[in-house]
Amino acid sequence: MRRRDFLTMAAVGGLGAGLGVPAFLRRAAAATPIKIGMPAALSGGYAQYGIQAKRAAELFAKDITAKGGVLGRPVEFLYEDTAGDPATAVRKAQKLVEKDGVKFLTGIALSSEALAVSAKCPEWKVIFMSTINGAGSLTAKAWNRYFFRVNTSGPMGARAISLYLAEGPMKRFFALGSDYAWGRDSVASFTTQITAAKKEIVGTDYPPVGTKDFASYIAKIRQSRADGVYLALPGQDATIYLKQAHQFGLNQEVKPIMEILELENMKAVGDAMVGAIGSSRYPFTVDTPRNRDFVKRFHALHGLYPDMFDGETYEGLEWLAQVIQKAGTDDVEKVIDTWEDSSYEGLEGPFFMRKCDHQAVQLGFAVEAVKDPKYPHPVPKILATYPGEKVTPKCRSEDFS
Amino acid sequence: MVEQLLNALTLAGLLFLVSAGLSLVFGILRVVNFAHGVFYMLGAYLGFTTVALSGAFWPALVAVPLVVGTLGALIESSTLRFIYRRPPIYQLLLTFGLALILEEGVRILYGPTAKGIDPPAYLEGAVRLGSLQYPRYRLFVVALGLVVAAAVWLFLRRTRAGLVIRAVAQNSEMADCLGADVARVRTLVFGAACALAGLGGVAAAPMTTAYLGMGIGVIVDAFVVVVIGGLGSIGGSMAGSLIVGAAQTWGAFYLPETAMVIMYAVMGAILIFRPWGLFGEPE
Repeated sequence: MRRRDFLTMAAVGGLGAGLGVPAFLRRAAAATPIKIGMPAALSGGYAQYGIQAKRAAELFAKDITAKGGVLGRPVEFLYEDTAGDPATAVRKAQKLVEKDGVKFLTGIALSSEALAVSAKCPEWKVIFMSTINGAGSLTAKAWNRYFFRVNTSGPMGARAISLYLAEGPMKRFFALGSDYAWGRDSVASFTTQITAAKKEIVGTDYPPVGTKDFASYIAKIRQSRADGVYLALPGQDATIYLKQAHQFGLNQEVKPIMEILELENMKAVGDAMVGAIGSSRYPFTVDTPRNRDFVKRFHALHGLYPDMFDGETYEGLEWLAQVIQKAGTDDVEKVIDTWEDSSYEGLEGPFFMRKCDHQAVQLGFAVEAVKDPKYPHPVPKILATYPGEKVTPKCRSEDFS
Repeated sequence: MVEQLLNALTLAGLLFLVSAGLSLVFGILRVVNFAHGVFYMLGAYLGFTTVALSGAFWPALVAVPLVVGTLGALIESSTLRFIYRRPPIYQLLLTFGLALILEEGVRILYGPTAKGIDPPAYLEGAVRLGSLQYPRYRLFVVALGLVVAAAVWLFLRRTRAGLVIRAVAQNSEMADCLGADVARVRTLVFGAACALAGLGGVAAAPMTTAYLGMGIGVIVDAFVVVVIGGLGSIGGSMAGSLIVGAAQTWGAFYLPETAMVIMYAVMGAILIFRPWGLFGEPE
């Protein structure tokens, strides 16, 4: 190195240290945005989930800007469409990380996408915050340090509804799960827990994903003389089942019990859905001051009521922002350390991020779809609330005992 | 048993409305139309809009096929017409592209939430048939399928227009020489096929709701129907719809683990022993 170069560099270094840099330049450096990447399913059959994540992010961006950002820096969201395909999700996530310099990924819709992206995060050194993905394995077998799950997982939902049914009068259950990982896992988990509660499973079937006509299954469920039918069917399949079961007059005889009771279903099925029970990751009717305010602001922005993943995603983003603020930096390793074993006051109640598998411990809900003249569609009414310790599985596991 | 038979007939009715058009379009235009399922979906969504606007179900049953059929005819005369002489790969790209554009268009217009339609009040609920409770609306779909099948068959066999269509299907160049307006026949047949799919969509919506992806779901079954029945044959579409409807409902009831396999096994057997289909003609 030549002497003059050395001097130049020393001078620049000295200036950079803040000795002589004009204030406006320093502020400009500090105001580089914190970027959050959302490789979400915005088109295709699962778009409803990606769109929920995006809606929540839009409201959050508005709120955080009004508060002056995080660490005095603005928050910027970068959306990419994955169409619900795992390979595309990885490609889009990689683009966000490598080209756009994103340190935080969220908004991924499907568990299959989440498993693929989560496996890459240790290599990319970025945080993947799940606010939607249900698969138990994400915080068990497939877990790594860069993965955080803010939402209620599938096994947690199954646990909440099983606890509710264990105390109820229904004795005989039919289980209907879509023929893929989530449907089969949920039915297995439900079967274990319901038989432990001294109840009976009188039949099980696995219709293929995308079934258009459930008439044959409806006939079998009726013949089984079950009191309730447990349904682990993804969005549209559940809508079709409920609509057809209603037309056959089955819903009055055999109570539908949903793995997830979604607003999307309630809007599409309408009054035929009234009476269905199930678990909910986030029922927007929770009566807390924070949630009432959130629902009002959400409705003002989007003109509709928040569904499960609108709420869960908003909570995730708010919590992440608080953690970055507390860490005093957006450095990934420091953010992880700060987040572990931290608490957060969510919309529906307290959250705790346990260190061992980064699963957020939170309330579990059993809900029922009811008619309420205040709303244009049926809404979830809370039947029972369970504390986090009762509905969260053992560390890095999908089991409860 | 009776219940499963009715279920099979309901499904067959819907499948016929879709596969008849697919088969006709192939017979007359020699195009495998991947966008056909999207017209079925479009029918369901437009049905939702019509019911919302008019407050009644019946107008949708008349208006939607007209609108979807007109749209189909416009699409044929503005796009497909120019590629009949090109290699088949162009048809695949074009119809597949149309399917994607229309599907995403519907998503932008209607949003991702499925849209439910209620059947008319007197078709609500179930009717008692002996020991059996069966939804009235499904009986209506069975009847609709039978009426439309009979009407299409009579039209093709007993009218002059049907005669011209059959002539074009058999040999379009010869029909052209004999004075048939082949281009016009193609446009009208494509429009009519889309109208049938649209009618199927309206009829299906009260049972399945209108949702994104319903077109792709139905087109796979419709292809199986057409392969079993024979490309270009209306009788084949009827037979194929009944076979697929029966295979799916009985399969799901008695052999749930292999329900999907049965349908494809039938198709495989047909392809091996009678590759031109039950009612088709060897080329």
